[in-house]
Amino acid sequence: MDEYDEMYGIEDDFEQQFADELEVMAEMDYESPRHTKVSELRSKKPLSFEDAIASGDIVQSSKSVARHPGSSDAQQITAKPGKSLPHSLDDSEFPEHLLDSDNFQSPKAKRQRLDVAKKLQFTLSNDGDNITPPSSPEDYSRSKSSSVQTVTTSALDISGLAELQESPRRVPTATGHVLRRPPPTGDYISVTDSSGNRVYLAKKEESTVRAVDSRALRDSHYSLGLLSVPIEVLREQVAERRHQQLVEESQRLTEMLNSRVDEEFGEMDGREPEVEEEAAEDEDQDGTASRLWVDRFSPQHYTELLSDDFTNRCLLKWLKLWDTVVFGREKSVKKPKHPQADNRLPLQQKDQQNPRFKTKTQITEEILEAELDQYQRPKYKVALLSGPPGLGKTTLAHVIARHAGYNVVEMNASDDRSAELFQKRIDTATQMKSVLGANEKPNCLVIDEIDGAPTAAINVLLATLNRKESREADTEAAGIGTLKKKKKKTESVLLRPIICICNDLYVPALRQLRQQAFILTFPQTQPSRLVQRLTEISRRQGMKADSGALMALCEKTENDIRSCINTLQFLHGKGQKQLDQRMVQSVTVGLKDQNKGLFSVWQEIFQLPRVKRKRIGEVLSLGAEHGGQSSTAAQRLQHILHLASSSGEHEKLTQGLYDNFLSMKLKDPSLRGVCSALDWLGFSDILNEATLHNQNFSLMRYLPFLPAAFHLLFAATTVPRINYPNSHYEALTRTQHTRNALVAMLAEIPPSIRSRVGMSCLSLDILSMLLEVICPKLRPVNPQLYSVREKQQLVELVDTMLSYNLTYRQDRSPEGQYLYLLEPNVEEVVRFPGLPPRRQLTYQAKQMIAREIELERMRRAEAMLQARNPQRKEEKEKNDPQGGGQKLPIRNHQQRLENIVKQTVVDTRPEVDFFGRAIEPKGKPVPSAAAGDVGKVGMELQIGKAVGNSDVWFRFNEGVSNAVRRNIYIKELL
Amino acid sequence: MSLWVDKYRPTSLGKLDYHKEQANQLKNLVQCGDFPHLLVYGPSGAGKKTRIMCLLRELYGPGVEKLRIEHQSITAPSKKKIEINTIASNYHLEVNASDAGNSDRVVIQELIKTVAQSQQIQSSTQKEFKVVLLTEVDRLTKDAQHALRRTMEKYMSTCRLILCCNSTSKVIAPIRSRCLAVRVPLPSVEEVCSVLTGVCRKEGLLLPGELAKQIAEKSGRNLRKALLMCEACRVQQYPFSSDQDIPETDWEVYLRETANAIVSQQSPQRLLEVRARLYELLTHCIPPEIIIKGLVSELLSNCDGHLKAEVAQLAAYYEHRLQLGSKAIYHLEAFVAKFMAIYKKFMEDGLMA
Repeated sequence: MDEYDEMYGIEDDFEQQFADELEVMAEMDYESPRHTKVSELRSKKPLSFEDAIASGDIVQSSKSVARHPGSSDAQQITAKPGKSLPHSLDDSEFPEHLLDSDNFQSPKAKRQRLDVAKKLQFTLSNDGDNITPPSSPEDYSRSKSSSVQTVTTSALDISGLAELQESPRRVPTATGHVLRRPPPTGDYISVTDSSGNRVYLAKKEESTVRAVDSRALRDSHYSLGLLSVPIEVLREQVAERRHQQLVEESQRLTEMLNSRVDEEFGEMDGREPEVEEEAAEDEDQDGTASRLWVDRFSPQHYTELLSDDFTNRCLLKWLKLWDTVVFGREKSVKKPKHPQADNRLPLQQKDQQNPRFKTKTQITEEILEAELDQYQRPKYKVALLSGPPGLGKTTLAHVIARHAGYNVVEMNASDDRSAELFQKRIDTATQMKSVLGANEKPNCLVIDEIDGAPTAAINVLLATLNRKESREADTEAAGIGTLKKKKKKTESVLLRPIICICNDLYVPALRQLRQQAFILTFPQTQPSRLVQRLTEISRRQGMKADSGALMALCEKTENDIRSCINTLQFLHGKGQKQLDQRMVQSVTVGLKDQNKGLFSVWQEIFQLPRVKRKRIGEVLSLGAEHGGQSSTAAQRLQHILHLASSSGEHEKLTQGLYDNFLSMKLKDPSLRGVCSALDWLGFSDILNEATLHNQNFSLMRYLPFLPAAFHLLFAATTVPRINYPNSHYEALTRTQHTRNALVAMLAEIPPSIRSRVGMSCLSLDILSMLLEVICPKLRPVNPQLYSVREKQQLVELVDTMLSYNLTYRQDRSPEGQYLYLLEPNVEEVVRFPGLPPRRQLTYQAKQMIAREIELERMRRAEAMLQARNPQRKEEKEKNDPQGGGQKLPIRNHQQRLENIVKQTVVDTRPEVDFFGRAIEPKGKPVPSAAAGDVGKVGMELQIGKAVGNSDVWFRFNEGVSNAVRRNIYIKELL
Repeated sequence: MSLWVDKYRPTSLGKLDYHKEQANQLKNLVQCGDFPHLLVYGPSGAGKKTRIMCLLRELYGPGVEKLRIEHQSITAPSKKKIEINTIASNYHLEVNASDAGNSDRVVIQELIKTVAQSQQIQSSTQKEFKVVLLTEVDRLTKDAQHALRRTMEKYMSTCRLILCCNSTSKVIAPIRSRCLAVRVPLPSVEEVCSVLTGVCRKEGLLLPGELAKQIAEKSGRNLRKALLMCEACRVQQYPFSSDQDIPETDWEVYLRETANAIVSQQSPQRLLEVRARLYELLTHCIPPEIIIKGLVSELLSNCDGHLKAEVAQLAAYYEHRLQLGSKAIYHLEAFVAKFMAIYKKFMEDGLMA
């Protein structure tokens, strides 16, 4: 394996590119031993070493790992079982590890073995001298051995990466218990396989065999029994393929990279994939037939992901941005235990603060580069993954979160997602962590299928993101404290990453979230990678499938990983052991009821399908030959029908067809096609109406035939230019606008006219003429100068406008001109574009009319008021001259004047006066009546007639200058 | 009462200007103090509403002319609130239920029931029934019309219905059979002319007979339109001259231009332009039936005699489909496209021959 990097010398580039990933892997390796029983392992170390030596070639090969980079393929292959040997021993000697831990989930098991492997390496490298110089100065801080391991790691890691392309787990690992030479210690059984190769099975202690292993047995049996090709051949193939992939991968990577030297990465990373594989292997063995293949073969590790590398890396980087805040405190605590971990962290921080991802200056990367906020959190607190189903979004989120050292807490559509529960779960997930058990990792919340969540719930999420920030800001302002202190103060600050997953990014409920989230859109899975994985799966399950067939399957499912694997399993379950193209074509299972975008649907309707690529088209063209032209037409029809019925938005679809079909290049001189298309549209409209009106939904099944008909009528080979259909919507809003103007006009028309004026006759007959009528020829002079006849005309005009509730309103045009517009603006209702403009009144005339209308309105309003209470007015007029009448309450100033007069003149009865003043409205009539004459006389003597009885009176109002009041009627002013 | 249409509207049956025989019959109908449900129908501008109001005045006296607008809000069983304006006097209630759109059934049921169930007090001095005037009955949904059936019979003792519509074809048969149908036809050209001259005389204007005739013809004998046109003419130019321009409604001009566009060229591009124009008409609240009618009359005048029958038949076909469907533009455009196809074929055949 090592020879690859020697040959291509890419490890530097690789390290740069995957520094983050490597770091994480390394960290995991450093953290994990805490959980495992280190001491026990250590005590067993000599044994494992001894075993390793005893197994012969292992030692050599391991040494060659360090010393002779140019070791041959054969050596490398033999090295493999060597590495897995300690594993098997480990398993057998410490069955309780596996059995006690309640789950056989990969990470734990992996780490245990990893440890053993590490120890093994350690001892090995002690005597081995290192020819490769340490790759970074940081490495000097470590033991010598670790630097040796660094070399091996980088090499192995690349190979591990290569593995992710196809991850042929079974081949190398299945031989874990199978040795080519008899083991030097312990009993063994020799087995000869069908092709005559002899292998040796190490015998284990009976008890452990019983405890562990049916699994182990099955494992070996499986690999022997089911492999028709000898294992060596397979291995060679694997190695070869790996080689190829490595070359490809490395080339790709070098392209993507810029030169950055950063040697900091995990020591044992390289081990991981292999060890991981073994873990996965175990799991596979656990997997019963009842398990879905999708679950069984789901990637357990970052390097096994099928999804786009760039996306994966972006998400991982984003997640790593959280490290400072999430793991920041932990490192100080664990300082004594893991000095290496400490070593790494400052660098990591440096990395984050000063990242240099200049390869593709993409927005996403810029986001990733953005500064952390005051709590060392990344700018975007939420990552939002979006993409069609089956691309591995959920898997990616889980794998990466686990990879970065988080404990994944998932919420999905199966949970109740009301706002309260949502809040509760977010809080628990982000603020707490499990204290019991070994699972002491911080939580990472994965909210799956968030596009189905109610808006309220999403608002809760947003509130969690935002509300707490403000609170934070407060504390920030309050005082400068250490990070620790702040955390204590505001415990509710969101300090854990949240990953949201959705299919449709543009669901209205997500609108707010979109702005605050780090959005990652999933591209299509690369079919080549998918095919590789499928090949591997089918091979493992003993299905024969050529890559052509699998390619066809991928195409059929549109590279949906889940759907592919499910189809495979389905076929497998049906007893199919062979998979060829014809079967894939004929099978109906893999077909997705997918929801395509409207534009692509329209496009497909208006475009003839391109001739398919030959490889896949073979069967199709065969079929075409049989059926001739008609069968392809039938296929197209079927295709469009399927497309239309699955799209769901029939209304929009039809509208789009209607809006666009005339703009297509129609070769239709007789217009027959257009006519039949419009007949189809009419038919579909009637159908729709009947469906909705009678609730006869069985008719809906005929709706998809409209697009099919359009396809047969108008499909052309050229790429159509589709415009989004908005004509209908536009027309609707404009109709509404017109209608509103009419309604506004009708609302105030007096009832006698209103009863004769309906909306339709208004728009048809009246308005157009009315606008003519209200534009008489007026002399451009002051209305005062009008002749009697002209005045009469003006009065009539104003009367008409008033009775039809029209007036002019001053408006400022965008150019800054002032205009008088009709209000409500019925002019728009009547006028059509392209017709000669009607005669308009001048600005002055309109101004004058508007003024006249206002005046007339006031006059009428007052007349109405007066007409409404004529009695009161008369009374007033009667009472006023008398002054201080009984019924009418005496005016304020009079009362006061009277009282002043009384106080000064009549001093005899102070109590009465006092009470009279205190309870004025009640006590008024009596004292005023009693003292009326006296007061009146006195008052008139003192102040004079003018003030006491006149309509004009004065009242001192502090601070207010408009002191003179008088009742004035509008009529007096006009 | 400013426009001539409003100012000189006759208020009693005796003062009506035309269809005097019908007016007399109505008078006789009412004189005995009672009458059946009425279904008054006829084209727009023929004077249906005027006749109905005259009838009510004959029945109840001048009190019916004191009108008020009432805003009623009705809660549908689905808890939906429906706002509707009614015009009412002490004796009658006028409702345009089609304003409520799809919920018109609820309006019909609720309003008529509340009116009909309340007994008139002082039945000695008043008639013992009220009148509910339903306008634009042809625009009611079928549901609403069915809701009307039973109500008409059940509350016969306290309530009379006068239904007013343009065409009986959209009124369901059970309702037609429950009513006395009164057709108010359009006035003849001479009658329109005499009304116009009469009004002008009252205004102190002199209307040349020639112009009056032109107005009458141009208005399509729609008296309301004729009077408005006449007044517009007066505003434009006085004293009248017999050859003066008579203002037209914009939509008619626009429709005519559309028809010309159809005849002048037949291609998908032209169809696209026509579609834009049709949309324009629809957004200006011109009902699609009117559009198709206007188009047909314009197109018929432009095409050869051989085609006329076919075009008329097409128009009828598409108008029928228009009524069945809900998106008018499809059917209008389908008609236009079909006409284009036929016309084009005809022209090409003519060239070949």
